[in-house]
Amino acid sequence: MASFAGAFAASHGPLLIREWEAVPRGEQSRLKNAFEELGRRLKSANPDALIVVSPDHWSNFSLDNYPAVCLGVGAVNEGPPEPWMKGFAHREIAGHPELALHIAGQAMRGGFEPSVSHRLKLDHGACIPLWRMGLDTLPKIVPMLLNSIEPPMPSLRRCFDWGRLLRQSIESYPEPIRVAILGTGGLSHSIGEPTMGAIYEDFDHETIRRFSSSEDSLLSYLEDELPRRGNGSEEVRNWLVAHGAAGGRGFELVDYLPVPTVIVGCGFASWRAS
Amino acid sequence: MIGPMRDYWLCKLFYDLQSPAAVAEYRAERDKVLDRYRIGAEVRKALAENDVPFLAQRTNAYLLRYYFFATGMKDEEFKRRLRHG
Repeated sequence: MASFAGAFAASHGPLLIREWEAVPRGEQSRLKNAFEELGRRLKSANPDALIVVSPDHWSNFSLDNYPAVCLGVGAVNEGPPEPWMKGFAHREIAGHPELALHIAGQAMRGGFEPSVSHRLKLDHGACIPLWRMGLDTLPKIVPMLLNSIEPPMPSLRRCFDWGRLLRQSIESYPEPIRVAILGTGGLSHSIGEPTMGAIYEDFDHETIRRFSSSEDSLLSYLEDELPRRGNGSEEVRNWLVAHGAAGGRGFELVDYLPVPTVIVGCGFASWRAS
Repeated sequence: MIGPMRDYWLCKLFYDLQSPAAVAEYRAERDKVLDRYRIGAEVRKALAENDVPFLAQRTNAYLLRYYFFATGMKDEEFKRRLRHG
């Protein structure tokens, strides 16, 4: 049987690439160290496959059809379409169709109804953390695109439950492989709305604190606060998937720093596999 | 209501303009591109006038931000218009 190798989370703001040279040196150094520390932890977990949970920033889906959740079940997915992501070395990214289809099957049997895609574009949401973590070779990537961009979005509870489902799916997969999960995005930021540029440090710190408390406390806080903490903060859903996969335990903050130049409260975390 | 109302054709325009070739054509021949979309006169006027608050009520915030980034508006100007029109 497969085993759960750990969960990880990292911010993915585009300005981490586009405005990198404008980020003050001290903040650059902390961001670089945080990404690289996550990379070290991921390498140490030695996963054969990595489920990357990220929103689709209008790279695959439009108003014609924007699924709540889409699993990438293809053998190959495409690298980021954004012109400013050209520096990312991987233009094609190997998937793990057997594992992805197993997860999709488990989901359907468990009352979840993801859409599936046999070829996705993995935009900056997935690829900035993979790039900045400094991985020489990528494990096989199973993309899970979770809508935190365009309402209506999956409920926070559902995202946590998706994490549990991923864990059960990993542990029921018959091959002896190691599978980790990476949730990307957040923490607080605001894009294309009148509060654009705002970082809500108090919200970020309290959210981080509650990842070490009960899931009910965390979900209740987020339900109350998210509607007024910037639309980008909705991406904390991807962290909830990672948290659910870890059984709501073992959260370890790697670093948090608000970075006005990239207009994101940047957070980095891992969960122990237990 | 579980989600906001959207102007489908405005959103489709913004979505399509993510292609570098499409945005280059739009910057060169805006009217020709707009003629391919069923965009109403009020919305078309708002596009011509860079009326950010008007457009913000009709599209997704990420698409809105992308559109003005791609068509060359500086972030500071975009934020000012978002807040003050």
